Amino acid sequence: MKTGLKGSLLTCCLGAALGLALAASPAFAADKVVKIGNVEPLSGPSASVGVQGKQAREMAVEEINAAGGIKSLGGAKLELVYADSKSDPTVGVTETERLINTEKVNLMTGCWNSAVTYPATQVAERYGIPFVVPVAVRDTITERGFKNVFRVAAKDSWWVRDQFRFLKDMQDETGVKLKTIAFVFENGDWGTGFAEKWRELAKKDGYQVVLDEPYPSTATDLTPVVTKLKSANPDIVLLVSNAADAILLTNTMAEMQVKPKVVLASGGGHADPKFLENTGDTAYGLFDEVEWNTDVNKPGAKETNAKFKKKYGYDLTGESVDAYAAMYVIADALERAGSTDPAKVRDALAATKLTTGPAMIVSYDGVEFDKNGQNTNAGIVIVQVAKVDGKPERVTVWPKAARRAGYTPVFPANK
Amino acid sequence: MTAVIQATLNGIMMGAMYGLTALGLTLIFGVMKVVNFAHGSLLMVGMFSAYWLIKLTGIHPYLALLIVPPILYFFGYSLQDLVIKPVFKAERQVREPLTVIIVTTGVWYVLDNLALMLFGAEYRTVRTAISNKSFALGQFIISIPKFSGFVVAVATAVGLALFMRKTKIGMALRATSLDREAANLMGIDQYKVYNIAFGLGTAIAGIAGCVLIPFYYVYPSVGVVFDIRAFIIVVLGGLGSIPGALLGGLVIGLIESVFSQFMASTWTEAIIYAIFLVILFVKPSGFFGNKQDW
Repeated sequence: MKTGLKGSLLTCCLGAALGLALAASPAFAADKVVKIGNVEPLSGPSASVGVQGKQAREMAVEEINAAGGIKSLGGAKLELVYADSKSDPTVGVTETERLINTEKVNLMTGCWNSAVTYPATQVAERYGIPFVVPVAVRDTITERGFKNVFRVAAKDSWWVRDQFRFLKDMQDETGVKLKTIAFVFENGDWGTGFAEKWRELAKKDGYQVVLDEPYPSTATDLTPVVTKLKSANPDIVLLVSNAADAILLTNTMAEMQVKPKVVLASGGGHADPKFLENTGDTAYGLFDEVEWNTDVNKPGAKETNAKFKKKYGYDLTGESVDAYAAMYVIADALERAGSTDPAKVRDALAATKLTTGPAMIVSYDGVEFDKNGQNTNAGIVIVQVAKVDGKPERVTVWPKAARRAGYTPVFPANK
Repeated sequence: MTAVIQATLNGIMMGAMYGLTALGLTLIFGVMKVVNFAHGSLLMVGMFSAYWLIKLTGIHPYLALLIVPPILYFFGYSLQDLVIKPVFKAERQVREPLTVIIVTTGVWYVLDNLALMLFGAEYRTVRTAISNKSFALGQFIISIPKFSGFVVAVATAVGLALFMRKTKIGMALRATSLDREAANLMGIDQYKVYNIAFGLGTAIAGIAGCVLIPFYYVYPSVGVVFDIRAFIIVVLGGLGSIPGALLGGLVIGLIESVFSQFMASTWTEAIIYAIFLVILFVKPSGFFGNKQDW
């Protein structure tokens, strides 16, 4: 009896020692994973962009893992854990809670919709979990003095700033003077945020605002909005739309023969690959603002795009490039942190200076965060939908330095 | 003024189509006394059927009107026969068959998710001969797909009303709607009538799918958008009333289109819901509703 007890105690000790030794050995550590929680709109009105982000993340993580994972963590692999926000802030918050508490993720990314990202980042901040936001443009996401929130893409005041720079540059370049302007935008966080800044800048640049119209993104019919646009007859129309309403607006404008001189969209739905597929020739002449375009002149961009297209059947978008880059930003930070401890990962993220590597297919020069976690380098390009080889294509036109060689923008688009 | 007249024309055309989407819902309610929560999904099935038919065969969208509704009729007929009827029979003794309503909700989820699995979440439109085409009526512009939709919607409502009045099946449907026990005693097979009513409601969703697809896009949860409209329209027009559905649709279409000219279009949504609430308070049976239903 006595010896039996002793014996079992001994076995226990031996077992524990063996366990410790195993844990310390590289063979065991190679099985270690870093869990990355992703809240994305995988169903509902923004599902197609959610899926783009998901696929881009998967491709990046596949590459990172195939290249040996996070070396400073003994080759730890990245693992993506998804949750569907349905574009609903409430769902986004509960899913973030679940990923952090139940799935025990080490980092968070997401959520595309500003309205979801805003409260979701708040949850992560409360738990002290680093949150890398690839896209979600609302300014205030990185203006609350949070320690754990980092945004790779530009914020919406920069998008608006560049829209008005573009309008001014193009008028200077072509000598065409445009006076009246109309705002048409989806009634969510994103659209109303843009509109606020449009009003400011339009006033500053001396445009006359003839229509300022929010509309619900779930509207079944946008003919009423287009009718209003027709009677306002503006030179310039600025748009913020999700995919479904972007398609509906463009087609309805063609149907109702509304032809403003310049239609300038703000990415999102207009940048969705489904947009051109569903509008075709009715979209010719449209200007759109994006983080990225396939003809952007950056090393590796063409190859990465070709790889993505082969895998998923469509070109990379601004959303997917930022999601792709975000995974490399995370991998880079983990590598430098050498730990999955949230505080250490957070510090490593804050010290990011990424200017080389696969992530640099982005249109700007690098990733470096300011004290609020905003990437100070993030920038934007403007494209025009043009007929190239008989098919509608998005051609980079602005900044002028980035313009596709041999292309002259059609400005104004409708004379 | 021009804008208001233009908006009125648009409102009438779109309103008739809202009415058309509500027609199947009101028919099924009228006969079965069941609020069919799967109606939007059936509309989605109709839109996808029209989409694939036009996309794969390249036929004119209005030829699809001859093919899609009959297919949808059998789909609805079998759905009721195989899925809903057993629940109905189990609840024979209950005046308000609640479980059936829950079953239709289940059908909604199953159909939407099935479509999501099969076709993905993306938006699809099919470019047809009449997509984005319009004609001028003086200084007003009439969209051809919407105008055709309007004509089809009115024709469907008139056709359905005539069918209910003049044919034997129509009379059986009406008899069952008035009193299912009495109709049963008169030798009408209640469950067969339900099958037919559900089939007809689904076929109308198929008609709506055919006229919507030339200018609207389809995706798995597209039904939800139209569903809420359809419910409001049906309550507005009177549950079970065919002219009520059409009139309710026109009212909603006109509010949406004309009011938008004077205020931000986000407000019209609120106004529609406000009117819905007022109707519920003042005249819960709607414009043409039968009081004894409630």
